[in-house]
Amino acid sequence: MWQLLNSDMEFLVESDFIYLPLLLDPEIEKEIQALLRPQRPMDNPGHPVSKTIITHQNRHFVKAFNIHSILENYEVINAYDYKRRRKEFLRKYQLTRAIDGILLDDTLKTILFQVMPYFIRKNRGMCRKKLKDEEILDLIVEKIKIPGKYYKEAKTYRHVEHLKTVLTGLENQKPIIKPPGNGLLSTHQLRDWFHEAVHAKILAKEHDRLTKALQIRLQFSQAKPEHAATLLYIADTGSMEIDGFGFTRKNGYKGEYFVYKRVGEFVLKDYYARSYLFPACRVAVSTYTPFRPFVMEKYKHPFLLRHKSGQEICMQHFAPPNEFTAENAIRIIEEGLTALRYGYNARRRNGYHSLDRTWVYIPTIDFEDYRI
Amino acid sequence: MNLLHHIKHKRAKQKRKQPIKRDVFNQICSLVKQYDLKESFLSVLDNVEDDLSGENFKFNRVKLKTPMESSLFSLATKDEYALIMSIIGKVDNAYLKFANSPEEILLCGSLYRLNPSLTNQKLMRYHFETLLLHERAKATNNEPNNKATDVAKP
Repeated sequence: MWQLLNSDMEFLVESDFIYLPLLLDPEIEKEIQALLRPQRPMDNPGHPVSKTIITHQNRHFVKAFNIHSILENYEVINAYDYKRRRKEFLRKYQLTRAIDGILLDDTLKTILFQVMPYFIRKNRGMCRKKLKDEEILDLIVEKIKIPGKYYKEAKTYRHVEHLKTVLTGLENQKPIIKPPGNGLLSTHQLRDWFHEAVHAKILAKEHDRLTKALQIRLQFSQAKPEHAATLLYIADTGSMEIDGFGFTRKNGYKGEYFVYKRVGEFVLKDYYARSYLFPACRVAVSTYTPFRPFVMEKYKHPFLLRHKSGQEICMQHFAPPNEFTAENAIRIIEEGLTALRYGYNARRRNGYHSLDRTWVYIPTIDFEDYRI
Repeated sequence: MNLLHHIKHKRAKQKRKQPIKRDVFNQICSLVKQYDLKESFLSVLDNVEDDLSGENFKFNRVKLKTPMESSLFSLATKDEYALIMSIIGKVDNAYLKFANSPEEILLCGSLYRLNPSLTNQKLMRYHFETLLLHERAKATNNEPNNKATDVAKP
């Protein structure tokens, strides 16, 4: 499409569709003649005539794409250009990226307030009660030392006036983009219209983003400053660890995390009841498919195929869920931990490798160095 | 061969891969696009017969066939299509699909008139100018013999 927009041809716009000049060969010409014959019987009587080919000023045009569809999906179709335009726009309206950073996404909220309480020690003694969100934040404040700069940021975060001013400014400048009228359009006309429409789309999207940010700020302006500082710290760093449970943001994947639980050293026995001491590791699940447990460190185990990092744990009859929810994440991590520590059956020698060397020994992964 | 065998053989033949045949439209379309030919080429094509006849037609050296990669399926804009169809209509002979340059399009008609039974291999391998030279030489070599026989006859 970008080649077309940079060419010097003429387009025809008809009911929000772009029609391109029809290219010909003898077969196509025959088809066109048959198609445009006035006495031609209708293919689907009762249905409206499909305007696949239009004749305008003695030229044939063929239906190509919907303008709105291209506009809606422009972010995906030409990600580079969209990002460049967005960046220019943000610079123009002096919208800093800090606003992005302070928003807590839903995945992070799920991990923080639903998955984490399952794995960490919340209460002292025999007391068992479900913690509220604020109590969880209190617990984090207790267990994690948050740098002072986040407390300072939390103070400014409560001032919503600046954001309100930017929003009103955006609202005043909101252009109304009409679809181009029916008829012939030159390439540069279409290109200009398209760029204006993309600009308007970015503006609308940023407006929504800022409105959402404002809502969250208004909500948090009533929260305790240390809670706001904690949330800012988590959103900024994207990782945290308490009592062996933690999460870390995936490099290169915005809004995706690895949620993990540490396993201490454990012992497995082989067929001859000899013990093997396995080192500590982290069993994790990603917030992005596949939802299967894996070991984050470079590790070897009968249930891991090789000796490297990020290997999925081999588990029979395990059906991975289709979506990331708190229940699913807890179940996956639990199953992974159980499989590593208790899943190996010395009699059956299940898994990819056997701890002891078998009668017909095929050298794959060796566990002799773990033997105690 | 019974009916069953006949049907099986026919179906097997239909399923077999068929090589794409050289198509005159594709060839000329590729040439029009590659050399950016315009309407003026048609007037050159009209006058080519005068230029080639008589003393204007001289070859200094044997030309090599220009290598060319024509696309399998060509599509043309309306103007290009009109030009292509005009060229095909004007030249209208079996050698046109072997032309690899505009020059060969111009020589195509004369060559066909001189010898309409050249093999595809020759047409693919040699430049039309070379073939035309060859055919002309053949014709001139035959002329004195013909005259001699005419003289001897009475």
